Amino acid sequence: MNSTLTGAVATYLAQVRAELSDLPPGELADVLDDVTGHLTEVAAEFDGEPSSAALQERLGTPRQYADELRNAAGYPPRTAPAATVKHPGKAALRWGIIAATVGPFFVAIAIFAGAEEVGAFFVFIGFAVLFLAAWLGVRALRGQDPAVVLDTPRGAKGEALIRDMVAQIPPKLRQELVTIGQPVWWVLRGAVGAGGFFLLFGAGAVAAVAAIVGAIVSVWIARRAQQDRRWLWYVVPLNVVAAVAVPAVLSAAYLGASFGVFSNGYPSSSSSHTPNDGLRLNGMQITNIYPFDAQGKQTSVLLYDQNGEPIRIDSRENCDWVQGTNSHIENQFPYGVIPPDALVDSADNCRETTVAPFTPPPIVFQTPTPPPASPTPTPSAKVTPPPASGKPSATLTVQPSR
Amino acid sequence: MDTSQLLKGVLDLAVLAVLRDADGYGYDVLRRLRAAGLEDVADASVYGTLRRLFAAGALTSYVQPSEEGPHRKYYGLNKTGHDLLAQSTRTWTNFADIMSVLLLTKEEAA
Repeated sequence: MNSTLTGAVATYLAQVRAELSDLPPGELADVLDDVTGHLTEVAAEFDGEPSSAALQERLGTPRQYADELRNAAGYPPRTAPAATVKHPGKAALRWGIIAATVGPFFVAIAIFAGAEEVGAFFVFIGFAVLFLAAWLGVRALRGQDPAVVLDTPRGAKGEALIRDMVAQIPPKLRQELVTIGQPVWWVLRGAVGAGGFFLLFGAGAVAAVAAIVGAIVSVWIARRAQQDRRWLWYVVPLNVVAAVAVPAVLSAAYLGASFGVFSNGYPSSSSSHTPNDGLRLNGMQITNIYPFDAQGKQTSVLLYDQNGEPIRIDSRENCDWVQGTNSHIENQFPYGVIPPDALVDSADNCRETTVAPFTPPPIVFQTPTPPPASPTPTPSAKVTPPPASGKPSATLTVQPSR
Repeated sequence: MDTSQLLKGVLDLAVLAVLRDADGYGYDVLRRLRAAGLEDVADASVYGTLRRLFAAGALTSYVQPSEEGPHRKYYGLNKTGHDLLAQSTRTWTNFADIMSVLLLTKEEAA
Protein backbone atom coordinates (compact mmCIF):
# COMPACT_ATOMS: atom_id res chain seq x y z
CA MET A 1 0.00 0.00 0.00
CA ASN A 2 2.63 2.52 1.03
CA SER A 3 5.42 0.73 -0.75
CA THR A 4 5.99 3.64 -3.11
CA LEU A 5 6.36 6.17 -0.30
CA THR A 6 9.72 6.81 1.29
CA GLY A 7 11.32 9.06 3.83
CA ALA A 8 9.36 11.85 5.43
CA VAL A 9 6.25 11.07 3.36
CA ALA A 10 6.13 7.48 4.61
CA THR A 11 6.62 8.70 8.16
CA TYR A 12 3.83 11.24 7.74
CA LEU A 13 1.52 8.51 6.45
CA ALA A 14 2.42 6.27 9.37
CA GLN A 15 1.66 9.06 11.81
CA VAL A 16 -1.71 9.76 10.19
CA ARG A 17 -2.46 6.06 10.36
CA ALA A 18 -1.62 6.07 14.05
CA GLU A 19 -4.02 8.95 14.62
CA LEU A 20 -6.80 7.06 12.87
CA SER A 21 -6.02 3.68 14.40
CA ASP A 22 -9.33 3.56 16.26
CA LEU A 23 -11.32 3.32 13.00
CA PRO A 24 -12.78 0.00 11.91
CA PRO A 25 -10.09 -1.89 9.94
CA GLY A 26 -11.98 -1.86 6.63
CA GLU A 27 -12.67 1.87 6.73
CA LEU A 28 -9.11 2.55 7.89
CA ALA A 29 -7.68 0.66 4.92
CA ASP A 30 -9.95 2.53 2.50
CA VAL A 31 -9.25 5.97 3.84
CA LEU A 32 -5.51 5.25 4.01
CA ASP A 33 -5.68 4.24 0.37
CA ASP A 34 -6.94 7.76 -0.36
CA VAL A 35 -4.39 9.37 1.93
CA THR A 36 -1.59 7.39 0.29
CA GLY A 37 -2.72 8.64 -3.10
CA HIS A 38 -2.92 12.15 -1.76
CA LEU A 39 0.55 12.08 -0.23
CA THR A 40 1.98 10.65 -3.43
CA GLU A 41 0.55 13.57 -5.38
CA VAL A 42 1.65 16.10 -2.78
CA ALA A 43 5.16 14.63 -2.75
CA ALA A 44 5.25 15.04 -6.53
CA GLU A 45 4.63 18.77 -6.09
CA PHE A 46 8.10 19.08 -4.60
CA ASP A 47 11.43 18.87 -6.37
CA GLY A 48 12.81 15.68 -4.91
CA GLU A 49 11.76 14.23 -1.60
CA PRO A 50 10.02 16.75 0.67
CA SER A 51 11.28 17.21 4.19
CA SER A 52 9.07 16.56 7.16
CA ALA A 53 8.87 20.31 7.84
CA ALA A 54 7.86 21.09 4.27
CA LEU A 55 5.10 18.49 4.44
CA GLN A 56 3.76 19.91 7.68
CA GLU A 57 3.72 23.39 6.23
CA ARG A 58 1.74 22.16 3.25
CA LEU A 59 -0.69 19.82 5.06
CA GLY A 60 -0.50 20.64 8.76
CA THR A 61 0.73 18.23 11.38
CA PRO A 62 -0.32 14.60 10.97
CA ARG A 63 -2.71 15.10 13.87
CA GLN A 64 -4.30 18.17 12.26
CA TYR A 65 -4.58 16.32 8.98
CA ALA A 66 -6.21 13.35 10.68
CA ASP A 67 -8.58 15.54 12.67
CA GLU A 68 -9.63 17.41 9.53
CA LEU A 69 -10.25 14.13 7.79
CA ARG A 70 -12.13 12.81 10.77
CA ASN A 71 -14.40 15.86 11.01
CA ALA A 72 -15.17 15.97 7.30
CA ALA A 73 -15.78 12.25 7.12
CA GLY A 74 -18.04 12.31 10.15
CA TYR A 75 -16.00 9.69 12.02
CA PRO A 76 -16.57 9.59 15.78
CA PRO A 77 -14.10 11.67 17.77
CA ARG A 78 -10.85 10.00 18.55
CA THR A 79 -10.87 7.85 21.67
CA ALA A 80 -7.78 9.72 22.70
CA PRO A 81 -6.37 8.00 25.78
CA ALA A 82 -7.17 4.51 24.58
CA ALA A 83 -5.62 5.10 21.20
CA THR A 84 -2.31 6.24 22.62
CA VAL A 85 -1.95 4.08 25.71
CA LYS A 86 -3.25 0.79 24.41
CA HIS A 87 -1.58 1.05 21.05
CA PRO A 88 -0.62 -2.51 20.13
CA GLY A 89 2.56 -1.30 18.48
CA LYS A 90 3.82 0.18 21.73
CA ALA A 91 3.68 -3.03 23.73
CA ALA A 92 4.97 -5.06 20.80
CA LEU A 93 7.91 -2.72 20.38
CA ARG A 94 8.66 -2.74 24.11
CA TRP A 95 8.78 -6.53 24.25
CA GLY A 96 10.89 -6.55 21.09
CA ILE A 97 13.43 -4.23 22.68
CA ILE A 98 13.56 -6.40 25.80
CA ALA A 99 14.06 -9.50 23.66
CA ALA A 100 16.87 -7.80 21.75
CA THR A 101 18.71 -6.41 24.78
CA VAL A 102 18.14 -8.40 27.96
CA GLY A 103 18.32 -11.82 26.29
CA PRO A 104 21.58 -11.20 24.43
CA PHE A 105 23.00 -9.54 27.56
CA PHE A 106 22.75 -12.81 29.50
CA VAL A 107 24.16 -14.78 26.59
CA ALA A 108 27.08 -12.35 26.43
CA ILE A 109 27.72 -12.93 30.12
CA ALA A 110 27.72 -16.66 29.42
CA ILE A 111 30.26 -16.29 26.63
CA PHE A 112 32.66 -14.26 28.72
CA ALA A 113 32.01 -16.10 31.98
CA GLY A 114 34.23 -18.97 30.93
CA ALA A 115 33.14 -21.49 33.56
CA GLU A 116 31.09 -24.16 31.89
CA GLU A 117 28.22 -24.52 34.36
CA VAL A 118 27.84 -20.77 34.90
CA GLY A 119 27.92 -20.27 31.15
CA ALA A 120 25.26 -22.86 30.49
CA PHE A 121 23.06 -21.30 33.16
CA PHE A 122 23.28 -17.83 31.63
CA VAL A 123 22.77 -19.17 28.13
CA PHE A 124 19.59 -20.81 29.36
CA ILE A 125 18.39 -17.64 31.11
CA GLY A 126 19.28 -15.49 28.10
CA PHE A 127 17.41 -17.60 25.59
CA ALA A 128 14.45 -18.02 27.93
CA VAL A 129 14.12 -14.23 28.28
CA LEU A 130 14.67 -13.74 24.56
CA PHE A 131 12.04 -16.19 23.40
CA LEU A 132 9.50 -15.24 26.06
CA ALA A 133 9.79 -11.52 25.29
CA ALA A 134 9.68 -12.16 21.54
CA TRP A 135 6.58 -14.30 21.97
CA LEU A 136 4.89 -11.63 24.10
CA GLY A 137 5.83 -9.02 21.50
CA VAL A 138 4.21 -10.93 18.65
CA ARG A 139 1.17 -11.58 20.87
CA ALA A 140 0.92 -7.87 21.71
CA LEU A 141 0.42 -7.16 18.01
CA ARG A 142 -2.95 -8.89 18.30
CA GLY A 143 -2.85 -9.94 14.69
CA GLN A 144 -2.15 -6.46 13.35
CA ASP A 145 0.40 -5.61 10.72
CA PRO A 146 3.84 -5.59 12.41
CA ALA A 147 4.41 -2.19 10.78
CA VAL A 148 2.19 -0.61 13.49
CA VAL A 149 5.25 -0.43 15.72
CA LEU A 150 6.53 2.28 13.37
CA ASP A 151 3.43 4.32 14.22
CA THR A 152 4.51 4.72 17.81
CA PRO A 153 6.68 7.75 18.63
CA ARG A 154 9.55 5.48 19.64
CA GLY A 155 9.17 3.32 16.56
CA ALA A 156 9.06 6.31 14.21
CA LYS A 157 12.13 7.79 15.85
CA GLY A 158 14.02 4.52 15.58
CA GLU A 159 13.02 4.10 11.96
CA ALA A 160 14.25 7.60 11.12
CA LEU A 161 17.51 6.93 12.95
CA ILE A 162 18.16 3.69 11.07
CA ARG A 163 17.18 5.31 7.79
CA ASP A 164 19.72 8.06 8.40
CA MET A 165 22.41 5.56 9.28
CA VAL A 166 21.73 3.50 6.15
CA ALA A 167 21.82 6.69 4.08
CA GLN A 168 25.37 7.29 5.35
CA ILE A 169 26.59 4.11 3.64
CA PRO A 170 27.65 4.69 0.03
CA PRO A 171 25.05 3.14 -2.32
CA LYS A 172 27.57 0.80 -3.93
CA LEU A 173 28.72 -0.60 -0.63
CA ARG A 174 25.11 -0.83 0.52
CA GLN A 175 24.26 -3.01 -2.42
CA GLU A 176 27.25 -5.25 -1.89
CA LEU A 177 26.35 -5.62 1.75
CA VAL A 178 22.88 -6.80 0.78
CA THR A 179 23.88 -9.11 -2.07
CA ILE A 180 27.04 -10.61 -0.58
CA GLY A 181 27.26 -9.67 3.07
CA GLN A 182 23.74 -10.72 3.94
CA PRO A 183 23.87 -14.36 2.76
CA VAL A 184 27.35 -14.75 4.25
CA TRP A 185 26.05 -13.46 7.55
CA TRP A 186 23.06 -15.82 7.40
CA VAL A 187 25.30 -18.84 6.95
CA LEU A 188 27.88 -17.68 9.47
CA ARG A 189 25.46 -16.95 12.30
CA GLY A 190 23.67 -20.28 11.81
CA ALA A 191 26.84 -22.33 11.63
CA VAL A 192 28.56 -20.61 14.53
CA GLY A 193 25.41 -20.40 16.59
CA ALA A 194 24.49 -24.06 16.38
CA GLY A 195 28.08 -25.33 16.23
CA GLY A 196 29.24 -23.14 19.08
CA PHE A 197 26.37 -24.25 21.26
CA PHE A 198 27.41 -27.90 21.06
CA LEU A 199 31.06 -27.00 21.38
CA LEU A 200 30.21 -25.44 24.75
CA PHE A 201 29.39 -28.95 25.87
CA GLY A 202 32.40 -30.43 24.15
CA ALA A 203 30.54 -32.45 21.54
CA GLY A 204 32.86 -31.96 18.59
CA ALA A 205 31.38 -34.31 16.02
CA VAL A 206 27.84 -33.21 16.84
CA ALA A 207 28.94 -29.59 16.54
CA ALA A 208 30.11 -30.10 12.97
CA VAL A 209 26.73 -31.51 11.95
CA ALA A 210 24.91 -28.87 13.99
CA ALA A 211 26.88 -26.14 12.22
CA ILE A 212 25.69 -27.32 8.81
CA VAL A 213 22.10 -27.75 9.99
CA GLY A 214 22.27 -24.38 11.74
CA ALA A 215 23.40 -22.64 8.57
CA ILE A 216 20.51 -24.13 6.59
CA VAL A 217 17.96 -23.26 9.27
CA SER A 218 19.36 -19.74 9.54
CA VAL A 219 18.95 -19.08 5.83
CA TRP A 220 15.45 -20.53 5.90
CA ILE A 221 14.45 -18.30 8.82
CA ALA A 222 15.90 -15.27 7.07
CA ARG A 223 13.74 -15.97 4.01
CA ARG A 224 10.69 -16.43 6.24
CA ALA A 225 11.37 -13.17 8.05
CA GLN A 226 11.43 -11.35 4.72
CA GLN A 227 7.91 -12.55 4.00
CA ASP A 228 6.36 -12.48 7.47
CA ARG A 229 7.74 -9.57 9.45
CA ARG A 230 6.48 -11.02 12.74
CA TRP A 231 9.55 -13.27 12.65
CA LEU A 232 11.59 -10.14 13.27
CA TRP A 233 10.70 -10.32 16.97
CA TYR A 234 12.78 -13.50 17.10
CA VAL A 235 15.26 -12.79 14.33
CA VAL A 236 16.49 -9.39 15.49
CA PRO A 237 17.30 -10.51 19.07
CA LEU A 238 18.94 -13.68 17.74
CA ASN A 239 20.99 -11.52 15.39
CA VAL A 240 22.15 -9.49 18.36
CA VAL A 241 23.17 -12.71 20.09
CA ALA A 242 24.98 -13.82 16.94
CA ALA A 243 26.70 -10.45 16.63
CA VAL A 244 28.21 -11.09 20.06
CA ALA A 245 28.76 -14.82 19.70
CA VAL A 246 30.18 -15.07 16.18
CA PRO A 247 33.27 -12.90 16.79
CA ALA A 248 33.77 -14.51 20.20
CA VAL A 249 33.63 -18.07 18.88
CA LEU A 250 35.69 -17.29 15.82
CA SER A 251 38.43 -15.57 17.80
CA ALA A 252 38.42 -18.38 20.36
CA ALA A 253 38.71 -20.88 17.53
CA TYR A 254 41.55 -18.89 16.01
CA LEU A 255 43.43 -18.60 19.28
CA GLY A 256 42.51 -22.16 20.20
CA ALA A 257 41.57 -20.93 23.65
CA SER A 258 38.57 -22.65 25.12
CA PHE A 259 37.11 -24.13 21.98
CA GLY A 260 39.83 -26.71 21.66
CA VAL A 261 38.12 -28.79 19.05
CA PHE A 262 38.25 -25.99 16.51
CA SER A 263 41.98 -25.59 17.02
CA ASN A 264 42.58 -28.98 15.43
CA GLY A 265 41.23 -27.72 12.16
CA TYR A 266 38.43 -30.23 12.22
CA PRO A 267 36.68 -32.09 14.99
CA SER A 268 38.17 -35.45 15.87
CA SER A 269 36.31 -38.40 17.23
CA SER A 270 37.14 -41.42 19.36
CA SER A 271 36.76 -43.87 16.49
CA SER A 272 40.04 -45.65 15.82
CA HIS A 273 39.46 -45.46 12.10
CA THR A 274 39.51 -41.70 11.85
CA PRO A 275 42.80 -39.85 11.70
CA ASN A 276 43.86 -38.09 14.85
CA ASP A 277 46.84 -36.15 15.93
CA GLY A 278 48.55 -39.18 17.36
CA LEU A 279 51.89 -38.65 19.03
CA ARG A 280 54.13 -35.65 18.79
CA LEU A 281 57.62 -34.99 20.07
CA ASN A 282 58.54 -31.32 20.26
CA GLY A 283 55.81 -30.62 17.77
CA MET A 284 57.08 -33.19 15.28
CA GLN A 285 54.86 -36.08 14.30
CA ILE A 286 56.08 -39.46 15.58
CA THR A 287 55.56 -42.07 12.92
CA ASN A 288 57.02 -45.06 14.70
CA ILE A 289 58.32 -46.23 18.08
CA TYR A 290 61.28 -48.62 18.44
CA PRO A 291 61.43 -50.12 21.95
CA PHE A 292 64.76 -51.48 23.19
CA ASP A 293 65.31 -53.47 26.37
CA ALA A 294 67.94 -52.70 28.93
CA GLN A 295 70.43 -54.84 27.06
CA GLY A 296 70.03 -52.65 24.00
CA LYS A 297 68.12 -55.36 22.17
CA GLN A 298 65.16 -54.35 20.08
CA THR A 299 61.84 -55.78 21.29
CA SER A 300 58.19 -55.62 20.40
CA VAL A 301 55.57 -54.17 22.78
CA LEU A 302 51.89 -53.33 22.93
CA LEU A 303 51.29 -49.76 24.08
CA TYR A 304 48.24 -48.49 25.98
CA ASP A 305 47.37 -45.11 27.37
CA GLN A 306 46.26 -44.34 30.94
CA ASN A 307 42.70 -45.44 30.13
CA GLY A 308 43.73 -48.73 28.64
CA GLU A 309 43.04 -47.43 25.16
CA PRO A 310 45.43 -48.89 22.60
CA ILE A 311 47.88 -46.26 21.39
CA ARG A 312 48.05 -46.15 17.65
CA ILE A 313 49.82 -43.84 15.25
CA ASP A 314 48.94 -42.81 11.79
CA SER A 315 51.43 -44.44 9.52
CA ARG A 316 51.39 -44.32 5.77
CA GLU A 317 54.67 -46.02 5.15
CA ASN A 318 53.55 -49.62 5.51
CA CYS A 319 52.06 -52.24 3.28
CA ASP A 320 48.60 -51.87 4.79
CA TRP A 321 48.54 -48.35 3.44
CA VAL A 322 49.75 -49.48 0.02
CA GLN A 323 47.45 -52.49 -0.20
CA GLY A 324 44.50 -51.02 1.64
CA THR A 325 44.50 -53.89 4.13
CA ASN A 326 44.46 -53.96 7.89
CA SER A 327 46.65 -56.83 8.94
CA HIS A 328 48.55 -55.34 11.88
CA ILE A 329 47.76 -55.08 15.56
CA GLU A 330 47.29 -51.38 15.77
CA ASN A 331 49.15 -50.79 19.01
CA GLN A 332 52.02 -53.16 18.48
CA PHE A 333 55.33 -51.37 18.12
CA PRO A 334 57.46 -51.04 16.19
CA TYR A 335 55.26 -50.74 13.15
CA GLY A 336 56.56 -52.34 10.04
CA VAL A 337 57.70 -49.79 7.50
CA ILE A 338 58.68 -50.06 3.91
CA PRO A 339 62.43 -49.46 3.79
CA PRO A 340 63.34 -46.31 1.92
CA ASP A 341 65.39 -48.27 -0.60
CA ALA A 342 62.63 -50.78 -1.37
CA LEU A 343 61.10 -50.59 -4.79
CA VAL A 344 57.37 -50.99 -4.55
CA ASP A 345 56.33 -51.38 -8.11
CA SER A 346 53.07 -53.13 -7.31
CA ALA A 347 50.86 -53.43 -4.27
CA ASP A 348 51.44 -57.21 -4.07
CA ASN A 349 55.16 -56.82 -4.10
CA CYS A 350 55.35 -55.05 -0.75
CA ARG A 351 57.99 -55.71 1.86
CA GLU A 352 58.26 -54.07 5.22
CA THR A 353 60.72 -54.16 8.07
CA THR A 354 60.48 -53.57 11.80
CA VAL A 355 64.23 -53.22 12.25
CA ALA A 356 65.20 -49.83 13.65
CA PRO A 357 66.97 -47.67 11.10
CA PHE A 358 69.44 -46.59 13.77
CA THR A 359 71.55 -48.03 16.55
CA PRO A 360 70.68 -46.75 20.02
CA PRO A 361 73.52 -45.20 21.98
CA PRO A 362 74.78 -47.28 24.88
CA ILE A 363 72.75 -47.03 28.05
CA VAL A 364 74.29 -44.88 30.76
CA PHE A 365 73.65 -46.75 33.99
CA GLN A 366 73.95 -43.72 36.25
CA THR A 367 70.21 -43.13 35.83
CA PRO A 368 68.56 -45.21 38.51
CA THR A 369 65.05 -45.13 37.12
CA PRO A 370 64.13 -47.13 34.07
CA PRO A 371 62.78 -45.20 31.09
CA PRO A 372 59.04 -44.65 31.48
CA ALA A 373 57.07 -47.12 29.46
CA SER A 374 53.75 -45.32 29.27
CA PRO A 375 52.48 -41.77 29.62
CA THR A 376 51.56 -40.53 33.08
CA PRO A 377 47.81 -40.41 33.72
CA THR A 378 46.93 -36.96 32.51
CA PRO A 379 45.26 -36.22 29.18
CA SER A 380 48.18 -34.16 28.02
CA ALA A 381 51.14 -36.02 29.41
CA LYS A 382 54.69 -34.83 29.50
CA VAL A 383 57.16 -37.66 29.61
CA THR A 384 60.81 -37.25 30.22
CA PRO A 385 62.46 -39.09 27.39
CA PRO A 386 65.35 -41.44 27.92
CA PRO A 387 68.63 -39.56 27.98
CA ALA A 388 69.48 -41.49 24.87
CA SER A 389 67.55 -38.99 22.82
CA GLY A 390 70.21 -36.42 23.46
CA LYS A 391 67.67 -33.66 23.90
CA PRO A 392 67.24 -33.07 27.61
CA SER A 393 64.44 -30.57 27.17
CA ALA A 394 62.38 -32.60 24.74
CA THR A 395 58.73 -33.13 25.67
CA LEU A 396 56.53 -35.93 24.48
CA THR A 397 52.92 -34.90 24.01
CA VAL A 398 50.18 -37.44 23.70
CA GLN A 399 47.01 -35.99 22.28
CA PRO A 400 44.10 -38.04 23.49
CA SER A 401 41.93 -39.09 20.63
CA ARG A 402 38.91 -37.45 22.22
CA MET B 1 -15.44 36.68 6.78
CA ASP B 2 -13.47 33.44 6.72
CA THR B 3 -14.42 31.36 3.69
CA SER B 4 -13.27 28.18 5.40
CA GLN B 5 -16.17 28.58 7.86
CA LEU B 6 -18.64 28.84 5.00
CA LEU B 7 -17.00 25.94 3.17
CA LYS B 8 -17.75 23.54 6.00
CA GLY B 9 -21.44 23.77 5.30
CA VAL B 10 -21.27 23.49 1.56
CA LEU B 11 -18.29 21.24 0.91
CA ASP B 12 -20.59 18.29 0.25
CA LEU B 13 -22.39 20.25 -2.40
CA ALA B 14 -19.16 21.52 -3.94
CA VAL B 15 -17.68 18.02 -4.15
CA LEU B 16 -20.88 16.61 -5.64
CA ALA B 17 -20.86 19.43 -8.16
CA VAL B 18 -17.34 18.83 -9.42
CA LEU B 19 -18.10 15.13 -9.77
CA ARG B 20 -21.30 15.76 -11.74
CA ASP B 21 -19.67 15.90 -15.14
CA ALA B 22 -16.82 13.47 -14.70
CA ASP B 23 -15.55 10.94 -12.15
CA GLY B 24 -12.38 11.91 -10.36
CA TYR B 25 -9.81 10.72 -7.82
CA GLY B 26 -9.20 12.65 -4.62
CA TYR B 27 -6.40 14.88 -5.79
CA ASP B 28 -8.28 15.57 -9.01
CA VAL B 29 -11.38 16.68 -7.04
CA LEU B 30 -9.15 18.92 -4.97
CA ARG B 31 -7.69 20.49 -8.10
CA ARG B 32 -11.10 21.11 -9.64
CA LEU B 33 -12.31 22.82 -6.45
CA ARG B 34 -9.24 25.05 -6.40
CA ALA B 35 -9.59 25.80 -10.10
CA ALA B 36 -13.20 26.83 -9.47
CA GLY B 37 -11.97 29.39 -6.94
CA LEU B 38 -12.25 27.56 -3.61
CA GLU B 39 -8.61 28.21 -2.71
CA ASP B 40 -9.04 27.77 1.03
CA VAL B 41 -10.32 24.21 0.92
CA ALA B 42 -8.25 21.95 3.17
CA ASP B 43 -6.87 18.83 1.50
CA ALA B 44 -7.82 16.42 4.23
CA SER B 45 -11.38 17.72 4.50
CA VAL B 46 -11.99 16.95 0.82
CA TYR B 47 -10.81 13.39 1.32
CA GLY B 48 -12.97 13.13 4.42
CA THR B 49 -15.99 14.43 2.54
CA LEU B 50 -15.46 11.89 -0.23
CA ARG B 51 -15.40 9.12 2.39
CA ARG B 52 -18.58 10.37 4.03
CA LEU B 53 -20.48 10.73 0.77
CA PHE B 54 -19.29 7.27 -0.20
CA ALA B 55 -20.43 5.86 3.15
CA ALA B 56 -23.80 7.58 2.66
CA GLY B 57 -24.18 5.70 -0.61
CA ALA B 58 -24.02 8.78 -2.83
CA LEU B 59 -20.79 7.81 -4.58
CA THR B 60 -19.40 4.84 -6.43
CA SER B 61 -15.73 4.03 -6.10
CA TYR B 62 -13.37 2.08 -8.30
CA VAL B 63 -9.66 1.68 -8.68
CA GLN B 64 -7.80 2.46 -11.88
CA PRO B 65 -4.13 2.09 -12.64
CA SER B 66 -2.35 5.30 -13.56
CA GLU B 67 0.52 5.84 -15.97
CA GLU B 68 2.70 7.36 -13.30
CA GLY B 69 2.95 5.51 -10.02
CA PRO B 70 0.34 3.66 -8.00
CA HIS B 71 -3.31 3.01 -8.75
CA ARG B 72 -5.89 5.72 -8.14
CA LYS B 73 -9.24 5.44 -6.47
CA TYR B 74 -11.89 7.19 -8.51
CA TYR B 75 -15.18 8.45 -7.15
CA GLY B 76 -18.30 9.13 -9.19
CA LEU B 77 -21.95 10.03 -8.64
CA ASN B 78 -24.56 7.29 -8.66
CA LYS B 79 -28.32 7.74 -8.73
CA THR B 80 -28.42 8.65 -5.04
CA GLY B 81 -25.59 11.10 -5.60
CA HIS B 82 -27.36 12.82 -8.46
CA ASP B 83 -30.57 13.03 -6.39
CA LEU B 84 -28.61 14.41 -3.44
CA LEU B 85 -26.95 16.98 -5.70
CA ALA B 86 -30.29 18.09 -7.14
CA GLN B 87 -31.88 18.38 -3.70
CA SER B 88 -28.86 20.15 -2.19
CA THR B 89 -28.73 22.52 -5.15
CA ARG B 90 -32.37 23.52 -4.46
CA THR B 91 -31.63 24.00 -0.78
CA TRP B 92 -28.54 26.05 -1.55
CA THR B 93 -30.21 28.20 -4.20
CA ASN B 94 -33.09 28.83 -1.88
CA PHE B 95 -30.71 29.74 0.93
CA ALA B 96 -28.52 31.89 -1.29
CA ASP B 97 -31.59 33.77 -2.58
CA ILE B 98 -32.70 34.51 0.95
CA MET B 99 -29.23 35.69 1.90
CA SER B 100 -28.99 37.82 -1.21
CA VAL B 101 -32.34 39.44 -0.55
CA LEU B 102 -31.43 39.92 3.11
CA LEU B 103 -28.09 41.48 2.34
CA LEU B 104 -29.37 43.63 -0.53
CA THR B 105 -32.37 45.03 1.38
CA LYS B 106 -30.12 45.85 4.31
CA GLU B 107 -27.70 47.61 2.00
CA GLU B 108 -30.53 49.49 0.31
CA ALA B 109 -32.03 50.42 3.65
CA ALA B 110 -28.74 51.81 4.79
